[in-house]
Amino acid sequence: MRRSLILGGVAVLVFPTAARAADGGAGSWIGPFAVIAAGIGMAIAAGLCGLGQGRAVASAVDAMARQPGAAARIQTAMIIGLALIESLAIYTLVIALILLFVKGIQFS
Amino acid sequence: MEALEHPPIFRLPGIPDHVTYTWLVMVILAAITFAASRNLQLVPRGLQNFLEVVLEQFMQMIDDVMGHEGRRYLPLLATLGLFILTSNLMSLVPGLAGPTGNLNTTAACAIVVFVAYHWIGVRKQGALTYLKHFAGPVPLALKPLMFVIEIISHLARPLSLTLRLFGNMVGGHILLAVIFLLMGLDGLIGWALSGSAVGAVVGGIGGAITIVFTVGFLYPLKILVAFLQAFIFVMLTMLYISGAIEEAEHHSEHH
Repeated sequence: MRRSLILGGVAVLVFPTAARAADGGAGSWIGPFAVIAAGIGMAIAAGLCGLGQGRAVASAVDAMARQPGAAARIQTAMIIGLALIESLAIYTLVIALILLFVKGIQFS
Repeated sequence: MEALEHPPIFRLPGIPDHVTYTWLVMVILAAITFAASRNLQLVPRGLQNFLEVVLEQFMQMIDDVMGHEGRRYLPLLATLGLFILTSNLMSLVPGLAGPTGNLNTTAACAIVVFVAYHWIGVRKQGALTYLKHFAGPVPLALKPLMFVIEIISHLARPLSLTLRLFGNMVGGHILLAVIFLLMGLDGLIGWALSGSAVGAVVGGIGGAITIVFTVGFLYPLKILVAFLQAFIFVMLTMLYISGAIEEAEHHSEHH
């Protein structure tokens, strides 16, 4: 099952004509690849962003448990840090939105 | 995105939706502040009390981050914060459009911040001194490299402010639109009403679960995100402004 999926993926990557045929023969093979790229890119970005934010929150909660008096300042710093980490995933989201919704990318 | 999201109910012909709803936000904020400040009293009641609490929160944040002298920038910061917060919350009301769901609005806010903090820095320390800070405290040979890197990092700030707010809002809108599409008359609820027995069971249960999930989890999450993004925007603006005015003291220590 898994092997056939991988083989299918490789086949689509190697032979774009298959994707073109699946697209209805419009001669546009960028569109399907744009969808694949948006999905895979967003998945990688979301996963790694989750890892990074998890590390940040873990050490922030650790610090808050050790120093309850400084909890407010640590929380502010944590939220700013989370925003900065999250913006990296947001960049990928914007790229994905451009790939999916901007008409110029789907060269027909 | 028009394929997924229903356009707002009220539209002015020839004017983009985000501009219309930016005007609506402006009208709402101006009306509230006018009604609150028309009859000022020493012991505040009602609306005036509420707005004073809001501004006290802003001032406390400014005191925490920038120190006491940061209160001069309260008008800029509070206006940005209230505008973005109102826009974010308005985008959650069905039938209305949120101005912050459009790249132009967020880019306008970010460019205002970019120009404002450079202007404040130049006013505070003079143009030459301010430009010197871009080189940073490194040996002379490294200064040109440092200067270029700092310029790029400063140019990335409005970009990241813009895209963070826009991406968070639009990501949430697309999520809600997809959930509503799955849930609506073309999706699970439509299947439940279609008359088939399997559809009535599966579609009914699935539709109920989706409604509970949306109302109980997604909407509170989006309200939290609306507050959080406004907070982060204002907080980063404060950090940039304090970075632009604090470097004066740093530099005078070195010399």
